[in-house]
Amino acid sequence: MKQIALYGKGGIGKSTTSANLSVALSVRDLSVLQIGCDPKRDSTRMLMQGQFIPTVMDLVRTRGEDALSLKDIVFTGYNGIRCVEAGGPEPGVGCAGRGIIATFHLLEKFGALAGDVIVYDVLGDVVCGGFAMPMREGYAQEIYLVTSGELMSLYAANNICKAIQRLSSRVKSRCRLAGVICNARGQPREEELVIEFSRRVNSTMVQYIPRAHVVQQAEVNQQTVIEYSPDSAQAEVYRSLAGRVMENTRLSIPTPLETDELESLAREFI
Amino acid sequence: MNSNPLPVNSSRLGGCTLTGALSVTSRICDAATIVHGPKGCSHHNFSLLHATWLDNDEVLLPDLVSTGLTEQDIVFGGESALRTALDKAAGRDVKAVFVLSTCIVETIGDDVEAVCEQEYGIPVIHIPTAGFLGGTFQDGVNNALITLAGSADPCALINGVNIIGEMNLEYEVAENYAEIARLLGCLGLPVSLRFVHDIPFDRISRLGAAQLNLLRNPALVPVGQYLEERFGTPFIPSFPHGLSDTIAFLESVARCCGIDGHKAVERERALQTEMIAAFGDLHGSRATLGNTWPGLEGLVAAEELAGVLGISPNGGGEIRLPVSPAVGTAGLRRMLHRWRRAIHA
Repeated sequence: MKQIALYGKGGIGKSTTSANLSVALSVRDLSVLQIGCDPKRDSTRMLMQGQFIPTVMDLVRTRGEDALSLKDIVFTGYNGIRCVEAGGPEPGVGCAGRGIIATFHLLEKFGALAGDVIVYDVLGDVVCGGFAMPMREGYAQEIYLVTSGELMSLYAANNICKAIQRLSSRVKSRCRLAGVICNARGQPREEELVIEFSRRVNSTMVQYIPRAHVVQQAEVNQQTVIEYSPDSAQAEVYRSLAGRVMENTRLSIPTPLETDELESLAREFI
Repeated sequence: MNSNPLPVNSSRLGGCTLTGALSVTSRICDAATIVHGPKGCSHHNFSLLHATWLDNDEVLLPDLVSTGLTEQDIVFGGESALRTALDKAAGRDVKAVFVLSTCIVETIGDDVEAVCEQEYGIPVIHIPTAGFLGGTFQDGVNNALITLAGSADPCALINGVNIIGEMNLEYEVAENYAEIARLLGCLGLPVSLRFVHDIPFDRISRLGAAQLNLLRNPALVPVGQYLEERFGTPFIPSFPHGLSDTIAFLESVARCCGIDGHKAVERERALQTEMIAAFGDLHGSRATLGNTWPGLEGLVAAEELAGVLGISPNGGGEIRLPVSPAVGTAGLRRMLHRWRRAIHA
């Protein structure tokens, strides 16, 4: 079983990338589980015809843990992809990080972590221990950073490198950086910049995803790109990403940059 | 950001902020205390208070209520659990409710103050007590006393002295109080308020009426200063430890209250002389004063006493000194009975 996690700055396109990647994996006849690890709970929407599925945390709260079983928390979406949303508190109260930890314990208890590939789609920044949960022992071993060429997005990606570096130093940890996915916003020399960033943090750019209008078109139709426009060039990009993810063997311990290094790197490509 | 030092010894005074505050609020006899946190925080403190009081021959159950937070409350926030507990507590026959916070609710950022500010029909008083913020047991005591004092307004002076911050968890709390009340009585001064030991909530409003505040120990000086600022009441920073310190105590209380204390001092000296004579059999014996527990004041008091009695400080078996230094002349007498047993053993 392959377990991968996508991390990156908020709004960078992690959920869009995750959903399209999951579909591209599923059309290769792989059994895929996508787990949204963000209280916003919208990771799996495009796989569920635009529906927000009930989150694990909401179900625990309304029905109680003892009344729940596997089928209550896992929802089957497009092409048989199994979807889970961790959920969490309303903005401004409680502890979302603990919500992720509680969800993972429950998923373990129900034996939900099964199939050929598990895709963890995780909230923007690794703000606390809870959001590093997917990187811990027994969960995702391959971390993909989703970033554009924008400095703030690279900054977030670099911070996640720090978290991976920290966790990978633990004795039993098998968490590694598997690569960088460039979800381009269309700025000049963006691909070059992200390739260079990836190199500097001891990794590679595994896929360049160009900005394309069809992504928005698919989204307003509550579908992934592969479902909405399977013959589009963008759909091919996601299929290519799925291929590279399955074949990828280059796992590394990242070497995060200092802030001034990162800034001067961004300046070089302006 | 605070850093919490590791305990350098097992003294209770270095322990949990929550326990310190509870040692105060649990002795207001018509109020309930809500511990906003997991049930273990309340259970642990409940047993500690109950067991300690039992040691002092008091069969009492502290009125503690836990909000019983579970993982779910931590994820979604614990404020509604607090609201429920407050509604329930306020519906009972209590005059006030204290809300004490725990480490976890301060970590997840529950707005405890805002929940307490809502209307419940009785006073609801929040005392922040999360231990991980670096406070100790003593800080918990001080925070609780200062917060409670904030509910009292200045009032007209009466003839009397407040006792501030009795160590409600010490073994000789009752004896020490009795001794202080006796010493004050020698000067014709009544105790106005035991702040806080077994008082009804509304008595706190009389806090500003005393001529003098008498602190249990110097760790309470911040409380003494707060009360002095708020009510203009002067304070004496500690109960007396030792023969000469007890005399000096009488003199300074008399001075603070504008009383002629000569007669009282004379009588106390006579009492001390009589006591020393009663333990004349210890004269010439040898003993080493154990200093496992007491701070400097305990040791100074014991050395003075040994000197007056003619106990040679070197050689001989160890005599243990009490965990908290003996208070007043009566405290010394109880200590001498223990010394006699140890020396003649």
